[in-house]
Amino acid sequence: MKDKVFYGILTAVCVVGVISVIALVAYTYALYSDCSIISYIANRG
Amino acid sequence: MKLIKQISLILFVTAMFAAFDIAVYNIFTKRYINDTSPEMQAKSIELSKYLPFDENSGIVKTDSAAKLSGDLPVIDGAAALYPVFSGFVNAVYPSDSVSFDGENFAPDSALQFHNTRGAYAAIVDGTADVVICAAPSKEQLEYAEQNGVELELVPIGREAFVFIVNKNNPVDDLTVEQVRGIYSGDIEKWSEVGGENRYIDALQRNEGSGSQTAMLSFMDGIPMKRSLTGLFGSAIGFSFRYYVEGIVENSDVKMLSLNGVYPSPENIANESYPLVSSFYAVYRKGDDNPNITALIDWILSDEGQGIVEKSGYAPLK
Repeated sequence: MKDKVFYGILTAVCVVGVISVIALVAYTYALYSDCSIISYIANRG
Repeated sequence: MKLIKQISLILFVTAMFAAFDIAVYNIFTKRYINDTSPEMQAKSIELSKYLPFDENSGIVKTDSAAKLSGDLPVIDGAAALYPVFSGFVNAVYPSDSVSFDGENFAPDSALQFHNTRGAYAAIVDGTADVVICAAPSKEQLEYAEQNGVELELVPIGREAFVFIVNKNNPVDDLTVEQVRGIYSGDIEKWSEVGGENRYIDALQRNEGSGSQTAMLSFMDGIPMKRSLTGLFGSAIGFSFRYYVEGIVENSDVKMLSLNGVYPSPENIANESYPLVSSFYAVYRKGDDNPNITALIDWILSDEGQGIVEKSGYAPLK
């Protein structure tokens, strides 16, 4: 694989990875804002 | 060989991101998922399940002879008590006094719902005439004073303030002092109160909510703190008994006994449960609408107290 192609794929993987982390954190915060004490306790082990 | 290294590195980076996302989801995201209805999430209660003048309603229906007419007091209150005051409206208000659009009550409806914080603001601002709530917080009393309003609180029933944990938590009972120790941060692990070797996540509610005000009163000036280590442990929270048992009905949480006494209706009625407190009909002192006195007198009558009891709360006597 040419270096240019390799670095292109690696950059794309990193961008998608970072976006997925940001989206998950945003989703978690949205859930946190609406979560009741009872649901939170029910979801905990 | 170079190609294998390149593909391995790409796969490794992909796997690292995936592993991180899965870990965040399992440790944090999953615990905040609220599987109740959107209405429950937005308002803490499903208003449409407890509407007055609705044959499918979950409220206690009493056909009282004591009907109000004329200048009807606008009634509002706490989520945990909404089925009770909706039952009051059903019994003594005319059926055309309430209008609900499927999500909210119309501005001219005699029945409103803004939960504890909103209801105390409404009674001070004059958009509600009677609110059915737990005792007001210090801030709510200050807000009334700043606006030149004196609140009259009439006890109309009793309810247990309860502590809840996950059903898999082996702890079933705490003493009052242990609960204070947990919320003050002196007790950090469940193993210190007979449970597992896990940190305690001592949850609190929003400032001004009825249960947070009750908790502040219970702590009697002892500052509360939530430890960061608790995020990795098992949680404890608080609420009112009927809200947990009769309204939310989540089978994955359980109520704890306090000082060896379970918060059952019998133990609330005989006051052997240590944390039984009154809830109130609150109105503006000096309000000269005669229907306010008539409504509260009726709530204190056998008929009104019957609704309190049949709705799942303890009547005054």
